[in-house]
Amino acid sequence: MYPAPIEQYSRPSTLEELYSLLDSNEEDILVLAGGQSAMQAVKSRMLRPAHIIDLQALSELKFVTSEKGLLTVGAMTRYVDIVSSDSIPLELIALKDAASRVGDRQVRNRGTIGGSLCWNYSAACTPVTVLALDGAMNLISPDGSTRQVAADDFFLGPLETARNEFEILLSVDFKLRGSKSGSAYKKWGLVTDALPVIGIAACLHFDNTDCCDYARITLTGLSGAQRCLEAEASLLSTTANTEEIAEAMMIVCSKIPTYTDSMATADYRYQLIKTIGLEVIEIAKKRAFGLG
Amino acid sequence: MAKVAIDINGRLFQEEVPERMLLVDFIRERAHLTGTHIGCTYEGVCGACTVHLDGEAVKSCMLLAAQADEHKITTVEGLAPDGELTPLQEAFKSEHGLQCGFCTAGILMNMTDFLKRYPNPSEQEIKKGLIGNLCRCTGYVHIINAVRKVVQENQLRKT
Repeated sequence: MYPAPIEQYSRPSTLEELYSLLDSNEEDILVLAGGQSAMQAVKSRMLRPAHIIDLQALSELKFVTSEKGLLTVGAMTRYVDIVSSDSIPLELIALKDAASRVGDRQVRNRGTIGGSLCWNYSAACTPVTVLALDGAMNLISPDGSTRQVAADDFFLGPLETARNEFEILLSVDFKLRGSKSGSAYKKWGLVTDALPVIGIAACLHFDNTDCCDYARITLTGLSGAQRCLEAEASLLSTTANTEEIAEAMMIVCSKIPTYTDSMATADYRYQLIKTIGLEVIEIAKKRAFGLG
Repeated sequence: MAKVAIDINGRLFQEEVPERMLLVDFIRERAHLTGTHIGCTYEGVCGACTVHLDGEAVKSCMLLAAQADEHKITTVEGLAPDGELTPLQEAFKSEHGLQCGFCTAGILMNMTDFLKRYPNPSEQEIKKGLIGNLCRCTGYVHIINAVRKVVQENQLRKT
């Protein structure tokens, strides 16, 4: 576990400086955010970058703002900053559920939301939560052109995203849905706060008659962050009571294949999906009604 | 090679280092401060190499030395520069918070930062704070007692 030789290390302090560094035909560039996953890959030599571009000095990408029904989180915002932020509204509190359980406190002092989203590890807390909260990624290219990619289109599979090689994730937008909205995230791993064997996030909204009119349920641990579309649909127009949630999680289990490995058997994974799913959706519902 | 200027425990180290050199090796081999330990072949799992980067606990095997350029590092040697132990170090001594001592430097650095941020933690919060540090003598009970002792002493001082 030691990096292969690296030819160059750069630490741009402005976006302009970063773009000029990216604007070359250089190969084997690694753009490093907090480095709590990517450095592991560099040390194990899964990645052998010739040039590491470290984003740590880009203070303009470290912020959390909430205004006009929109929460925006800068890509270089660390987990510890998300956990301690006063700007994250209650309905998006799943972000704090996830950020407060990543790795350990040394990792949370360094790791960033943007780094985790762009790395998109097969079992990670941030992508699955941002997918449930319908986050939108604000990307910029070295030529200055920008685009926004919805979470549904951003996460393509483990370690794969829609981000082009030289695009930089600037921030993530989350739309607020107003009253009677709630969210939650929970995971189970082999040790406390480990990578999830199964992790589930949920975001619900209830209408004036207290029926669910918006549901996103997402799952990680099997093959990256994925939506549970049929289960989401089954909760619509219900009050999302315990039986209805249990039924929704049964639907998830009937649609998604699991597997046995050294961490858990396939059956145990189904049990985790049912148990954590029920817990997470009930917490999200309680929060939507101001009870959680 | 990368030129770095890293402040370690108040002393500036200006060196040329290979880009791939990890911060923990810079601390041990260039600054010759061997209190920071490598417990897990740089895998980022044991926490023995925990130091403070600008006052916050980080694992020094997870960073390149070049990333610490122009930053302030504190190692376990910097906790008691004049030889007078901090209350946490005293508590580790009196509560037998170490057996072989290999993990101790990292735990002291992590818990020093932890107690700064959470001056009055519950036992559960202390346990959660310690997740990033492994102790192979399994002395966790004594380690938790040592941290609790500092919390209790601080509370007594306030009342």
